[in-house]
Amino acid sequence: MRTLELTQKNHRSIINETCKVLSSGGLVVFPSDTVYGLLADATNKEAVDRLIAVKERPFGKAISVFIDSWEMLGKQVEVSVSQKKILKEILPGAFTVILPSKHQTDIRLESEHKTLGIRLIKHSLVNQLIKAYGKPLTATSANLSGKKPHYQLSTFQKELSAKKIKLIDLAIDAGKLPQNKPSTVIDLTKATIEILRQGDKSMDDIYISKNENATKKIAQLIFNQNITKTGNKPLVFILSGELGAGKTIFIKGIGEGLGINNIISPTYTIAYEYPLKNKCFDKLLHFDLYQIDSKQDLQRVGIEEALKTKNVLLFEWGEKVGNLIKLINKRAYIVYINIEYVTEGSRKLRVSYNHENSGD
Amino acid sequence: MKILAIDTSADETAAAVIEGRRIISNVIYSQIQIHKEWGGIYPTLAKRAHEERIEGVVERALKRIKNYELRIKNEDGLMDKIDAIAVTQGPGLAIALEVGIRKAKEFAVKYQKPLIAVNHLEGHLYSCFAQNSNSQPSNEIKFPYLGLIISGGHTQIVLIKEHLKYQTVGETLDDAAGEALDKAAKLLRLGYPGGPVIERLAQEVGQIDKYHFPRPMLQSKNLDFSFSGLKTSFYYYVRELPEKEKIKSIKYLVSSFQEAVFDVIVKKTESAIKQTGVSNVIVGGGVCANLYLRKLLRKMVKKNKGTIVFPPFEYLTGDNAAMIGIVAGYKAQANQFVKNIDQLDRVTRMSL
Repeated sequence: MRTLELTQKNHRSIINETCKVLSSGGLVVFPSDTVYGLLADATNKEAVDRLIAVKERPFGKAISVFIDSWEMLGKQVEVSVSQKKILKEILPGAFTVILPSKHQTDIRLESEHKTLGIRLIKHSLVNQLIKAYGKPLTATSANLSGKKPHYQLSTFQKELSAKKIKLIDLAIDAGKLPQNKPSTVIDLTKATIEILRQGDKSMDDIYISKNENATKKIAQLIFNQNITKTGNKPLVFILSGELGAGKTIFIKGIGEGLGINNIISPTYTIAYEYPLKNKCFDKLLHFDLYQIDSKQDLQRVGIEEALKTKNVLLFEWGEKVGNLIKLINKRAYIVYINIEYVTEGSRKLRVSYNHENSGD
Repeated sequence: MKILAIDTSADETAAAVIEGRRIISNVIYSQIQIHKEWGGIYPTLAKRAHEERIEGVVERALKRIKNYELRIKNEDGLMDKIDAIAVTQGPGLAIALEVGIRKAKEFAVKYQKPLIAVNHLEGHLYSCFAQNSNSQPSNEIKFPYLGLIISGGHTQIVLIKEHLKYQTVGETLDDAAGEALDKAAKLLRLGYPGGPVIERLAQEVGQIDKYHFPRPMLQSKNLDFSFSGLKTSFYYYVRELPEKEKIKSIKYLVSSFQEAVFDVIVKKTESAIKQTGVSNVIVGGGVCANLYLRKLLRKMVKKNKGTIVFPPFEYLTGDNAAMIGIVAGYKAQANQFVKNIDQLDRVTRMSL
């Protein structure tokens, strides 16, 4: 590993030297806006081979790439017009943005979901380098797996075995970097599960609620209307409605009607169970599918296991049950609730029993 | 006494080996890297795939005892070094908790070790008492404490007069603080998780509070939290903003939202100090990874002539098994073992 010291005056020669190494598939340790990074040509297979050999590839995270412009960003990843507007507010900056890859770089840099991490930073030397090189560069930190990133070249060198030092061609020493935190990751990739669509609305019951207490009362009313209709099947409520519509309030209402007064949002946990002391029901299960964003995830929250007689299943963000609706429909009695915002305090609640996606 | 601890309450599959307050090994699935020793199985990104991961995670936690006790050569004998098994009983997702409990029971029976059931929330509190394998940091534990748990799933203030004795003095009635931050970020299409992104963007505008979103429950005398109203108010405010202005103001919006959440956390904790007379505070949970919140809390506690302790290592703020093992050590001292291993069952909405 050759080391070049960065000075005020030698930026151009540093960039030239680095470009030479990169174009021959080499690895370069380079200062960045956060820590020392390990640069390789992200489109060069041999370069990525060597990168992976030096730095055991972390899983769960893709190896992100540096780009120098919005133009280069558009070539590497899919970005919608609205996403781009947001990104323009926060980039360049200390973020890694994850978006669907266009597979222009080595696919081993992508995540399992075919996404790629992009870094557009405020660092003129890195940006000049990419501009001169013309291709995206890997933006992984120069450190071994599981070890802390480095703000000094010397501490990184100490960590490396002789064998690994040989795999790195060049190091640019910019002294001690300011102790900026590593970049913050923003995942902008979309959910991959099917969303249920609303069916025919003409047969639905409509309620207007003026406040939270009224929503709770309506919930208890609808619940009580349906207890005897389940035919020994589990009773399922599928709630839809925007953030803040009052889905949790509705469920708290059902819970309070059954003597449960400590229902809280299960967004993070996905589901909570409450034992019931009730003739008709043994257990209330409160699901929140807000965080579920793949079919695999949906399989692992225990919905099928919960579909038992004498269980009440209440789903927030129930439209995300996607294809599971067929199973639920076969085994359970379903009530659909849609809550719509009218004004700050009042909500429109729509109750329906038939759904275009129901039935086999 | 060495304890093997397992936590599978939410997304993370985690195992650790603990001796007293010392963390001998701590393995969190999402933080480990591919190694040959994983057995060539290609890892999956699926969340909550505990069943596929638990074996490897526990094995790795055990193997690392070797680095701690160099005398150990034979890997088969690693379980001989373990005195008890600890596992998270709740709160959490039923199907996830079950995986950890099943594994813990299996080990307890197979190797004839006593089993200790731990509440995940106790774990977050005791994460403040953790030490590395060299017994650092060496701060003493001095009760009583006021415990603050702030995470994606929980927001709670607990009075702890002695080991393992908890009295909840305030908790959220709806959403957790971390959940509110995540939802605000997602609403502005800033991805997930939202906490770290908001922290960074708010810092860029000097944590300014331009919009003064409502501080829920601040007027009430009790110590309970509610973030649902703030979330709703933020949602409808943002929805009414013209797209262009929304995007232009994104940093100010998230900064103001963060201010509202943190203001409530700090003021409720201050009220708790005043109401209980206990001014030594311990803080656990993912939201306390936010350095700005730490600063605000430190300032408030100093004003009240108290002390404050945060988890000493960043990995302890998120879900982990080390904190479960630390609690278990104290439970073992108090002879709180599971009496009938067969009957141990998960409690999804477990409280302190």
